[in-house]
Amino acid sequence: MLDLQWLLIAIPLASGALLLVWGKESDRFGHLIGTAASAASFVLGVVLFFKLLGQDAEERSHAVSLFTWIDTGTFHVEMSFVYDQLSALFVLLITGVGTLIHVYSIGYMEHDDRRRRFFAFLNIFIAAMLTLVLAGDYLVLFLGWEGVGLASYLLIGFWQHKPSAAAAAKKAFVVNRVGDIGMALAIMLMFAQFGTSAIGAVNAAAPGATDTVTTALGLLLLLGACGKSAQVPLQSWLLDAMEGPTPVSALIHAATMVTAGVYLVVRSNAIFDASEVARTAVIVVGLVTLLAGAWIGCAKDDIKKALAGSTMSQIGYMMLAAGLGPAGYAFAIFHLITHGFFKANMFLGAGSVMHGMNDDVEMRHYGGLRIAMPITFATFGLGYLAIIGVPPFAGFWSKDKIIEAAFGQNLWVGLGALLGAGVTAFYMTRLMILTFLSEKRWREDVHPHESPRVMTWPLIGLAALSAIGGILLLGDWIVDWLEPVVGHAEHEELAVPAIVLTLIITAVVALGVVAAVVFYRREPIAAETPADGSVSIFARAGRHELYGNELNDAVVVRPTRHLTRFLVWLDGMGIDGFVTGLADRLGDTSQLLRKPQTGYVRSYALTMFGGVAIVVLCLLAVTLA
Amino acid sequence: MFATLHLSDLLDAELPPIAAPDIEYSLIGPLFIITGAAVLGVIVEAFWPRGSRFIVQAGLAVVGIVAALADTIWVYTDLDTIEASLEARGQVAGEGALSVDGPGVFTWGILLVFGLLSMLLFAERRLEGGLSSFTGRAADAPGSAAEAEAVKLRVEHTEVFPLALFALVGMMLFATANDLLTMFVALEVLSLPLYLLCGLARRRRLLSQEAALKYFLLGAFSSVFFLYGIALAYGYAGSFELSAIDTAVSNRTGSENMLLAAVALIAVGLLFKIGAAPFHTWTPDVYQGAPTPVTAFMAAGTKAAAFVALLRVFYVAFGGSQWDWRPTIVAIAIITMFLGAVVSISQTDVKRMLAYSSIAHAGFLLVGFVGVYAGVAGSDRVTSVSSILFYLTVYGLSSIGAFAVVTLVRDSGGETTHLSKWAGLGKSSPLLAGSFAIFMLSFAGIPLTGGFIGKWGVFSAAYSGGFWWLVVIGVLISALAAYFYVRVIVLMFFTDPVGDGPTVAALSLLTTVVIVVAVVGTVGLGIIPGPVLDLAQHAGAFVR
Amino acid sequence: MILSILAATPIAGALILALLPRGAAAGQHLRAKVVALGVSLITLVLSLVVLAQYDTGDGGYQLTEEHTWIKAFGAHYSVGVNGIALTLVLLTTILVPIVILASFDDRLPDPLGTNAYFAWMLAVEGLAIGAFAATDAFLFYVLFEATLIPLYFLIGTFGGPNRSYAAVKFLIYNLVGGLLMLAAIVGLYVVSSRQGDASYLLTDLQDLDYSQTTERLLFLGFMAAFAIKAPLWPLHTWLPDAAKEATPGTSVLMVSVVDKIGTFGMITWCINLFPEAADWASPVIIVLAVVSIVYGALLAIGQDDIRRLIAFTSVSHFGFIILGIFAFTSTSMAGSTLYMFNHGLSTAALFIVTGIMISRRGSARIADFGGVQKIAPILSGVLLIAGLSSLSLPGLAPFVSEFLVLAGTFTVSIPAAAVATLGIVLAALYILIMYQRTMTGPLAEGAAGVTELRPREIAALTPAIMLIIGLGFFPQPVLNAINPAIDTVVSHIGKGDPAPKTPTSIDAPAGQEGGH
Repeated sequence: MLDLQWLLIAIPLASGALLLVWGKESDRFGHLIGTAASAASFVLGVVLFFKLLGQDAEERSHAVSLFTWIDTGTFHVEMSFVYDQLSALFVLLITGVGTLIHVYSIGYMEHDDRRRRFFAFLNIFIAAMLTLVLAGDYLVLFLGWEGVGLASYLLIGFWQHKPSAAAAAKKAFVVNRVGDIGMALAIMLMFAQFGTSAIGAVNAAAPGATDTVTTALGLLLLLGACGKSAQVPLQSWLLDAMEGPTPVSALIHAATMVTAGVYLVVRSNAIFDASEVARTAVIVVGLVTLLAGAWIGCAKDDIKKALAGSTMSQIGYMMLAAGLGPAGYAFAIFHLITHGFFKANMFLGAGSVMHGMNDDVEMRHYGGLRIAMPITFATFGLGYLAIIGVPPFAGFWSKDKIIEAAFGQNLWVGLGALLGAGVTAFYMTRLMILTFLSEKRWREDVHPHESPRVMTWPLIGLAALSAIGGILLLGDWIVDWLEPVVGHAEHEELAVPAIVLTLIITAVVALGVVAAVVFYRREPIAAETPADGSVSIFARAGRHELYGNELNDAVVVRPTRHLTRFLVWLDGMGIDGFVTGLADRLGDTSQLLRKPQTGYVRSYALTMFGGVAIVVLCLLAVTLA
Repeated sequence: MFATLHLSDLLDAELPPIAAPDIEYSLIGPLFIITGAAVLGVIVEAFWPRGSRFIVQAGLAVVGIVAALADTIWVYTDLDTIEASLEARGQVAGEGALSVDGPGVFTWGILLVFGLLSMLLFAERRLEGGLSSFTGRAADAPGSAAEAEAVKLRVEHTEVFPLALFALVGMMLFATANDLLTMFVALEVLSLPLYLLCGLARRRRLLSQEAALKYFLLGAFSSVFFLYGIALAYGYAGSFELSAIDTAVSNRTGSENMLLAAVALIAVGLLFKIGAAPFHTWTPDVYQGAPTPVTAFMAAGTKAAAFVALLRVFYVAFGGSQWDWRPTIVAIAIITMFLGAVVSISQTDVKRMLAYSSIAHAGFLLVGFVGVYAGVAGSDRVTSVSSILFYLTVYGLSSIGAFAVVTLVRDSGGETTHLSKWAGLGKSSPLLAGSFAIFMLSFAGIPLTGGFIGKWGVFSAAYSGGFWWLVVIGVLISALAAYFYVRVIVLMFFTDPVGDGPTVAALSLLTTVVIVVAVVGTVGLGIIPGPVLDLAQHAGAFVR
Repeated sequence: MILSILAATPIAGALILALLPRGAAAGQHLRAKVVALGVSLITLVLSLVVLAQYDTGDGGYQLTEEHTWIKAFGAHYSVGVNGIALTLVLLTTILVPIVILASFDDRLPDPLGTNAYFAWMLAVEGLAIGAFAATDAFLFYVLFEATLIPLYFLIGTFGGPNRSYAAVKFLIYNLVGGLLMLAAIVGLYVVSSRQGDASYLLTDLQDLDYSQTTERLLFLGFMAAFAIKAPLWPLHTWLPDAAKEATPGTSVLMVSVVDKIGTFGMITWCINLFPEAADWASPVIIVLAVVSIVYGALLAIGQDDIRRLIAFTSVSHFGFIILGIFAFTSTSMAGSTLYMFNHGLSTAALFIVTGIMISRRGSARIADFGGVQKIAPILSGVLLIAGLSSLSLPGLAPFVSEFLVLAGTFTVSIPAAAVATLGIVLAALYILIMYQRTMTGPLAEGAAGVTELRPREIAALTPAIMLIIGLGFFPQPVLNAINPAIDTVVSHIGKGDPAPKTPTSIDAPAGQEGGH
């Protein structure tokens, strides 16, 4: 039964391919096929999950190999998949949230004449993402890894007629490729070291490898993770990626794909356990990203970009947790799942808002929407409570655990995480106020209205999950569940009892909320984004995404462009010029050598005579020599 | 005492008897046949009515050559084998004047083939409106009323055929001469008729006559060196016979310097004939000025004969001192290849270009020559001799074919040898251009043509002789050479004709036959060189 | 016998076409095209017969045939295929029908040239098959050089405005290499005839023993020809010009088929005949290969002409192939061989689809396109797939080969592999920038003429695309043929794959969770 896991991938893949090759006549019902496929794989996922529950902890890892993908020399890769506790959770998250978003998209993309293709791409994404999480071999994982990258490329640039969208899509792909260097090299290193890239075998052998190797592997994998999960320094693509249709942002750039990096780290836990350095690097990356993301989230007036900044920040939390080792893996995954719920929820909410506001993303043009779109407001509100960590909503449990573990690791890390929580509360409150609570600042001819049911039902579903997602932690269920995969964590004692810490966190969150209320309730909100000059340096930096793009530009893009121009010149003038130059010299020589051919017998005779003299002399010279 | 001297004493004196030389007539039959045909031609010239004389002369020449060719084949087949250190076939004949051996007879064969093809070109009369490409009356001043009248009367110099035959027999003699004196005689016999023929062009007669004069003067000049070299050689060895000189050289009797001087001067005489730098200067002017059929005849025949003579002298007579002359020849080979290849790039006249290409090829042949590789007893490895013989065969065929094509590309003023006029030939008459392209590719040594096999041969001979670096230089220069052969193809096929492109004369039977034979030979020798190659291999070494 | 027939069929077809009356009438053109297509399809079928008769388990040469050709030279007409040769023969026979079908509507400068156009194409096919199948050095050399002639005429007669320059450049460049190789070929003869009867048979040449200097010189002679053909930096400058001027079909034949003879020759001839010398030269060659990879990619990014761009991507890809060959691990060499096949497919698809775009737009400048996706979705889809295969996206054929090359190289030289890996980012740049500028954004004025693919064009492209996708997931059939041959080579040159440093129980079921 569990060997049917490959069907999880096959169903959406087949449907995606079908939708692509099927002609116009399938436009009418194409989206239904797509949704059905996703739903089917969700149902299967649920069935398999319960099947897995039915077994005892030791037999919960099911490997299946479909066929030999590559086999040559010493290089052997099976097209193998593993269905275990970890992947099972992901399957549910991906197919579940995925299906809801499919449903939502039926409404959202209703008026797009390329809707069928949109669903095809969504299906392909689902398939690729499932490949990623089910992969039993790093190379298969890489297949899914690049597959989701492709899907993300296609979907970010779905509205190709918008140059900005096309540019964003390309940027996302290229930046991810930078991360892929890490992935690729890591896999090569595995082959050189272990002679295999089977995830299980590698993790089994990792403890036996030298420190250098595990560290190198860890850092290389981290590089890959940074690309996929938009972690500093490869974060720059995520905010541009908001050019894509909102369901895409919800599914790919909030709930699932961007968390693949976290999955990778957790999946490779043996490697990271074996290397202190790599773990520390993960923590640093996570911490930096969570603060940077939060910072950006505070400054953006574009609702999707604000949420994107928040996504960065939340993934930073997960990374941070993953970096803590066995103590954090479970919580990283836990937060990943809850975040998947509430962030998808809020993105879809944002989409619903935009739907009502003629696709305007400028929060300063919103305001007072709680009346206009009550359901959206309610669902969004639940997401809000979840993300800032108000008990008992989902985010509270997951984030609380991470911060706790962070303190367990190191005071400063803990404080950073704590600060992040406060800032999160601030920018999310700001977002709520600007969008729903404050007085209306609508443009004329904008008539906000609640979205159709096909869009609101998914919202409700996700909102419910955001509310109750915490139950996964009931009795440390998720920790025990994942233990066979990520290893046992001995719980280290904190200086203060956990409950105290929880109270502190909650206090900080409250502080953030209050700050935002004070800040945005005092005077009326400008309907236009204040000029850079008029805002604090922090706000300005935040708006410019902490100058990440400018940095890339200066350090990578422009130098490359100059190098390219130079090389083009060199190729033409230098290398080719040399060759053609030779030909020209030859022509000159030819002209020169034909000069003696005067046509005068006397000169010919003279030449001959000279020749004779030389020949005689040569002969003599040779013998004398 | 004087009073005591009486006439009777003288009468009583015993005079030694003069023994009649014994000549192996059966062996040197081909020479006699050609000579006979030539002499007959002279008689015909004197007595046959003008009307049909041209036909008769042409027929006579062709028949004579065919007969000689048949005889040559017969001779070649039963040359008796000499079991020396190296496989050799044939024998010294004519009181040591001739050496009728494998290489020599093989050369006879190819010379006769070249001669036959050239005769067909000589006899071509369809192109000039019923007249051959030779002037009607060489005596008339170009453009004079007399000339116009001659044209009207359709008078023709039918002596060209006997002349060519004399030249041909001279070449054959040259290739088989076994002593230096015979060689010199042969040299003159082959040269003098050519000097004449060069001056007989119907079109551009001034150019033609100038060419003839240059050729004559410079030829004479080189003959002098050759003769002086012979004298020195005699002084050194006390004999004209190559084998005798060889013994002298091996024993190192006599003064070293005298020998070297002899080697140098004899070399000059021969290098002049094959057109090696720096004795090549006559080639472009003569090739350009001479009537194209004559150029074809010269290019193929003279080079072959002279090269075999060169091989014979240096391998047989001066083989013992090869370490003295090889470096110099290497230098000459390099200069010749380079000069021929490079200068031809800037040529705008097809015939001049072919002239320089022939210079370059002389250089490549010299590369094989300096290898002085005689093979190993019992193995059939490609030797210098066999490779050069094959090269000469292919080169001769290709160049006769190429010049034959040149005769066909014409405009109102006769042949249009200016390259620019050849633009777009591939579109107007693809077959003609195609065959010319094949000759070019063969010259360039592109695989599937005989030229490639030939190049391979001479290079391998040089390599076996220990000159691998010379081979590398050789291939690099062949790349240069390829450049201008390729340019011609570009011109013919990739360029659009300027104005009204070249008008190609209606293909007439004779020239067509020549071109077809040449094409078939060039391609055939490229794909299945086996038979001819084995013949050349079979020729073995020179007989001393 | 079957191999001879296989190689002879296209040649015969070429001759038939040459003899067919030429004329401007559409009927005559169509006849020529149909004949050409038919012949190429027959050849394809024959090659499948060869495949059927071939035993993939065996690494030696099969279906061999041998006759003395030129006794004096020790040259034989000797043919046979091993896994490597077979792969490339199949590549040829698969691509040529695609090319011919795709070239039906090529606008030729000379309307009378149709027969010649397709005749030359078939000639290339026949000669290439012969070169791949030749097991005699002399025969190989002759056919290798002979391929120049048809390509020369294809470029020079049917190319763009600057075609004759490109044709001459192409020919001279390759002749220089070829003639240097001729010197080496002659040298082989001398060496082998000194050690008994002269013979050019691969099998005989393999057991010759050379002095160190001789071996290195001969190696360099061979390598010069192959490095120019392949083309290896800095000997590449003929390729962009040729590709820019040639018709798409010609470019495919040149880059996808004939240039492969170069890399094929490196394995079959250079390395097999001169193992020590190859080993001695490998550091330099590896460096040059890595330079090619990065350099080619950067120049591709800098091009504004689509065809030059593709040419430079090929320079980069050939860098990968050569890198894998001279890393001397069975993994990387098998990867390189597979790479030859895959690169052939993806480049063919790229050249053909861009060729269609160019002929409809009347310009090859990237700047003259834009927003085409809107009016020609299928075309843009094909371009995207071909492009993604060129940037070796996992799931498409080239990924497998590229990764094998990299992984194999990594085990012997981490720096080389690491620098080469930069190529995957640059590849993403040159492909996606091209796609973005041509296909996305608002429809550029003048680009409206770039209409959707026609059925014939789809028919031509479909097989290539199917193979690209199929081999991405199931490369094993090809690899199974390649592996034994590669193992033979590797063992012959006394190389092998370094053992894993921290070996693990590989036989543990894949994906068995570790943890602890």
